[in-house]
Amino acid sequence: MKKLLLFSIVISALISCRKFDKDNFDGPSLEDSFGPFAILEDLNRGNYEVDFSAGQKVAFNMTLSKNTNWVIKIEGANSGAIRTITGTERILSLENALWNGGANKFPSFNLEKAYITVTFPNEENSPIVRDSVLITGLKQDQGFLITSFESGIAPNWQQFNQTTVQGKIECDPDLAAKGSCFYSWNGTVGWDWAIGSVTVKPPAGSTSFNLPASANNLFFNIAFKALQNVGPQNSFLLFWFDEDDNGDGVFDLNTEDRFIYEYWSNTLDWDLISRKYADLKFDKDGAVQNTNGNGLTEPSKLISVNVFFLANPGNGNAKAYADHMIFTLNEPYQP
Amino acid sequence: MKKLIYILFSLLFTHFLWSQERKFQVNGDARGYLFAKNMLIDKALDTINAPRANYGHTLLDLGFSIFPNNNTEIISSFRIRNELGGFWGGGVSFNVRQLTLNGVAGNKVKYNLGDIDVKMTPYTLYNFQEEGIVNEAEIFALRRQVVHYDMFYMPNNTWRMQGGQVAFGLKFNKVLQALEFKGFITRQRPTDGITIPERLFGGGSATWKQNDQLQFSYNSISLFDLTRTINDSIRYKNHVQTLSAKYRSKTQHNFQWGVDAEGGTSNVNYINYTNPAAPDLQNDWFYDAAFVFDYKKSKIVTKLGYKDVGADFFSPGAQTKRVDFTKFPGVFQQYTNNAVGRAINLTDIINHNAGYSYQLSDRLMAYNVAYDNINPYGIATPNRRGVYFNLEQKDSLKFKRSFIQIAQLFESRGMGTNVKKSFTSLAGGMDIALNDFLAWKREIVFNFGVRHDITNRGGEDYKKIKLTSTLIDVGLSVRLVGKLDLLLGTKYFKAAGNEFVNTRNAFNTITDLLTVSMDFTETTIAGGFRYKFSEKNQLLLNYQLHQIKDNKPSGINYGISQFNILYTLSF
Repeated sequence: MKKLLLFSIVISALISCRKFDKDNFDGPSLEDSFGPFAILEDLNRGNYEVDFSAGQKVAFNMTLSKNTNWVIKIEGANSGAIRTITGTERILSLENALWNGGANKFPSFNLEKAYITVTFPNEENSPIVRDSVLITGLKQDQGFLITSFESGIAPNWQQFNQTTVQGKIECDPDLAAKGSCFYSWNGTVGWDWAIGSVTVKPPAGSTSFNLPASANNLFFNIAFKALQNVGPQNSFLLFWFDEDDNGDGVFDLNTEDRFIYEYWSNTLDWDLISRKYADLKFDKDGAVQNTNGNGLTEPSKLISVNVFFLANPGNGNAKAYADHMIFTLNEPYQP
Repeated sequence: MKKLIYILFSLLFTHFLWSQERKFQVNGDARGYLFAKNMLIDKALDTINAPRANYGHTLLDLGFSIFPNNNTEIISSFRIRNELGGFWGGGVSFNVRQLTLNGVAGNKVKYNLGDIDVKMTPYTLYNFQEEGIVNEAEIFALRRQVVHYDMFYMPNNTWRMQGGQVAFGLKFNKVLQALEFKGFITRQRPTDGITIPERLFGGGSATWKQNDQLQFSYNSISLFDLTRTINDSIRYKNHVQTLSAKYRSKTQHNFQWGVDAEGGTSNVNYINYTNPAAPDLQNDWFYDAAFVFDYKKSKIVTKLGYKDVGADFFSPGAQTKRVDFTKFPGVFQQYTNNAVGRAINLTDIINHNAGYSYQLSDRLMAYNVAYDNINPYGIATPNRRGVYFNLEQKDSLKFKRSFIQIAQLFESRGMGTNVKKSFTSLAGGMDIALNDFLAWKREIVFNFGVRHDITNRGGEDYKKIKLTSTLIDVGLSVRLVGKLDLLLGTKYFKAAGNEFVNTRNAFNTITDLLTVSMDFTETTIAGGFRYKFSEKNQLLLNYQLHQIKDNKPSGINYGISQFNILYTLSF
């Protein structure tokens, strides 16, 4: 009986050893995932003005009561440019809600006021948080800008337009993909697909665009907007990438490489055309193009880019814009 | 002439066997197992998956025991398996199922090398039972035994591993009665030479036997990576050490009481891992202490205990599950026109259709909260504390066996919240020899078992959990005539409520909690005949209908009917 009592005391002592862990729990907090929704700290996006050209960025700071889907939508008041940032974290900060001035797609933001809304799609009756910011400087592009058509037609460029077509640079910041100006074609050509073209060449006094030698990580980009005669059977841009293989400063179609790329329209909105330079040697079916030069895609030898708009002659008037021709490294252009 | 040569060879071979009487022994197990299965599902729901599956196999495990001397035994077992329909060797496989060297060195040290069965305490190394059993009918148990036999899940809860073990003891005349030492080392995983280091598992125990009443043991076990088996310094190490004690009083007036207790620690190190998710060290402790009361006259043994297993206590040898619930069943893996992956159900486990473990897991394996939410990792399930009570009566005159198991446990650390879950488990069962009640000569055994589990958690609505599950096993075995038995059995399982299912990363840390709600039943009805040619030789013809009814609006009801033939022979 004494032993039974002794063992009972020992076991009772053991039972009192551990206390419930009141401070910690395993796994992610249920409150973060399933608790009631509330905004604990309201939106704070720093200064009202932001100069992206000076490297400034906008960080959206906000604290929610739980992890839930949130969408920050930034919309240019004049350009109509849109940038959305999404996430599910409870805390919004520069880690997950940072805006560098870019848009989701063309058009890009201009020097304008941008309206901000923060919504929570999975939370019923949740408030819509609104704010705005004034853009005083635009995001600096990373890449090799060929032209954004802001400085007019250069003397060494070449243009072709059918007699019934107006092909020219227009300037209207509300219509441009980026900046104020863009190239436009507008006209009815009932007898031919060809509408008009513009051949962009290096600045006067230079025979190249000073592009890097490697084609494997270089992307060609341009904004394209078809407004009339739109559709994948109706209109397209045809690009000629002419390379000066022998370095004499003149392109000779009989002895040098012309890589051709076509892009059919499919939307009424601004479209970003982006193509890796090394892939220009393939046609639309994936076959290697027959060219008359060395057959190598050599961006450092690029001497001109011809942008040719073509449309179905049976569909009446054709109208399209092109803007912001730029080469980028490693990835397509981020508007 | 040919007959004469044949007879001569036969006589010579027989003579060889007789002359090797004490040095050579042949034994084996043979089996034929044939299935014909049908998927029963609304035809509108599934028009793309084949609803029928016929398959089976015959196999022979041929074992040889060789006794080179009085102290050594070499055991080998070769498996020849022929899949049904694999004619002319097309479906035949030959495998070495076992190769073991047993012996006694110097008449003092017992040793085993090769394929060995190892077991220590319930908190260090223990192959605990899978889900879905509470005194189940013989018609299910017979087929489950096939799975257990194939996977080396022995009734004494050992794990089959490859390595070596030794045991020796010292006897004393004074102070203490004996000291016993056991140790083993096994290989869990070979290295790939690049990123995966070689992994070993080993341990041992030292037992101090004070007298016939009292003994203490120190148990230590480790799962660890070997350094320099890859060109990287990463190394996993798990170490569990426990102290266990067993006391039994002297029997007085047909009554004996005692204490079973074990307590210890575990720690896990992820050494030189650069992954930020890898914790430097995880350690925790546990204890489990119980009073045992043995009423010898009525053959009733009761156990009243309290245990507290820490949330971070990790013992791979004791917590590795037999069934891997992340795997899909072997038959009818997908169903419905959306090709939904079918989850493992309780009869898949019986039918050898689930994924089973043969190695220890270095993290807590996934489990089905419906089937066992209270002790999904056996007795050593972490993050459980509370009281338990077991009662068992063995082999009375009319009741072959009866038992009651009750547990009231709590989490010691919350999951996703500081609010803790509570767990209540009630189980009971009985085997009744009806022929004794009815005074019949032919054996009629009725068995049943019930287990009811409740999980609760309070707090705000989104934290609340209420999950109940009930498993009922009923069976009847009737000797019809001669050696022919009629076997009937049913399993009924129901789960309803909600829970949060955790997901663990490679470092055993819970990274996600997914809410699940359920309301379904599983019903299995089986009937068949068994002819016992002898105790080691029987034929079972069995029909079974398994149905799952999911009461949720999006639930899919289906069933599987099967007819199978199982022939077993041991010699």
